[in-house]
Amino acid sequence: MPGFVIAYVRVVDGINRRIGRLMMYGIFVMVAILLWSSISKTFFLPSLWTLESAQFAMVAYYILGGAYAIQLNANVRMDLFYGNWSPLRKAWVDVFTIFFLIFYLGVLLYGGVESAWYSWEYDQRSRTAWRPYLWPIKLVMCIGFVLMILQAIAELCKDIARIRGFDIDAPKPTEPTH
Amino acid sequence: MSHSMIATTMFALMMLLMITGQRVFAAIGAVAAVAAITLWGTGGADIPFTAAMKLMNWYPLLTLPMFIFMGYVLSESRIADDLYQMFHVWMGPVPGGLAIGTILLMVLVSAMNGLSVAGMAIGATIALPELLRRGYDKQMVTGVVQAGSSLGILVPPSVVLVLYAMIARQPVGQLWLAGVFPGLLMAALFILYICIRCRLQPELGPVLPAQERTHSRAEKLRLLRAGLLPVAIFAVMMVPFINGWTSLVESSAIGAMAALVAAIIKGRMTQEVFENSVRNTLGISCMFMWIILAALGFGAVFDGLGAVKAIENLFTEQLGLSPWAILILMQLSFLIMGTFLDDTAMLVIVAPLYVPLVQALGFDLIWYGVLYTITTQIAYMTPPFGYNLFLMRAMAPPEIGLADIYRSILPFVLVMVLALIVLMLFPGLALWLPDYVYNR
Repeated sequence: MPGFVIAYVRVVDGINRRIGRLMMYGIFVMVAILLWSSISKTFFLPSLWTLESAQFAMVAYYILGGAYAIQLNANVRMDLFYGNWSPLRKAWVDVFTIFFLIFYLGVLLYGGVESAWYSWEYDQRSRTAWRPYLWPIKLVMCIGFVLMILQAIAELCKDIARIRGFDIDAPKPTEPTH
Repeated sequence: MSHSMIATTMFALMMLLMITGQRVFAAIGAVAAVAAITLWGTGGADIPFTAAMKLMNWYPLLTLPMFIFMGYVLSESRIADDLYQMFHVWMGPVPGGLAIGTILLMVLVSAMNGLSVAGMAIGATIALPELLRRGYDKQMVTGVVQAGSSLGILVPPSVVLVLYAMIARQPVGQLWLAGVFPGLLMAALFILYICIRCRLQPELGPVLPAQERTHSRAEKLRLLRAGLLPVAIFAVMMVPFINGWTSLVESSAIGAMAALVAAIIKGRMTQEVFENSVRNTLGISCMFMWIILAALGFGAVFDGLGAVKAIENLFTEQLGLSPWAILILMQLSFLIMGTFLDDTAMLVIVAPLYVPLVQALGFDLIWYGVLYTITTQIAYMTPPFGYNLFLMRAMAPPEIGLADIYRSILPFVLVMVLALIVLMLFPGLALWLPDYVYNR
């Protein structure tokens, strides 16, 4: 494999791994917001910002963490046939079908950029009492889609390398990790 | 091309893509995106992203990562070991007793968690090896763990019912309460089946040998304390919720914290357990969220096609069926779809089509939610495509093959169908408790 492909895979894997490992602690951010929400509701005045902050935290959690989830092989596949194939055969099939993933992410990104741009241009706010601006979370989502596209391309590179008899990283796991 | 043709083509394409082994969410999302763009051009290209915004506004979905985290804390820290020990000692002297104990264990695990995967993980890692070592029949044991784990989404809390509640616009509290008795009924039927089967064929579930039954009464009573933990966690979660002090999502966060605190107090929260729980929570949450996101996009395209009207028309006008015949047909279609669709994806895609129809036919939507949940669990377990089967193979010890798993599940599926029929005949079974608590 050409050196720049290997470098690309390493860099993307590294970035997404770090972001994902940061995002995985996002579960505690969500818990904290929700606990504060129940405490403030019981003892003081209910906070206005908790509901939407928790929603934003959840979106950031699963969209920014998505690329790391791909690395972890967390996404289920229907492995009726796939599960019994050799790593080489899996790589051959994935080389083609990964484009469906990239296409889907691309369409998501297209819609996201359009929507984020609209929110930025018109200072769109959420229609709640707290009225947060909407463009930051949409921007975060777009960044997440870009990271996932980069990761999907990295997976494609790994599969091409595997077909050519060269493993960029660990061998393809036979079972998805649950 | 007519609209129903388009819908059928979309399903066929999705199925084809899934068979290639590509990630499930990619298969669903790509088909939705392609369909949206071919149908409506660049205007349709916004549909997948609009689904993401809709998902964000589904506030109750926050319970999903919470319950996943809780499930991992409970299974990774092996707090359930003590529970298993309790049932082991108490139920050991009965023929098939350890299998019955496993079902009871699953009921308790279900009461602490909203997903069936957690029960499966606990059953496969703790109960399964123990039962095999005691000479229990491997097909019997495998079936018990799978059937038992299906209680996870019926006994409250339940994530599937939360999703259903969002789609059908029904109160989650009532749905959860409606699941209580059907869940217990199913557990009771499983236990009855095990009892009868082990009486007829004692070699399937041998009694514990005498030298393993030397526990004193005091010791036995001491073991009962293990049962306090699930009761405590369940109470901490459910009491504030049912009383309306906290919202559903807040309760789930309290539950997640309670599980974490319990694991820390018991000294089981090592660095490794913590790392595994947090990392796997991200992985599994992402898996679910992305499937739901893609399925929402798919559902939006369906909606745009006017599929609800088409299906309603097909069932009521063209086929001229009675309400019950339609209901049974719908259940059957779930069974078929469940063989190749993930249950969350199925819920998000199909429920919006069926729920208005069920309502129009005059059925109770709370009752239907429970019916739906049992049906998906059956679909989820039936060969050849059941997701549970693959999960089980990934988790079970190597001596259990796919053929064992397939064969093990059949009697339990029949028991579940029986439960389903009972529930259809006696809707009060599900509806009595929510009626009583909420004075509907």
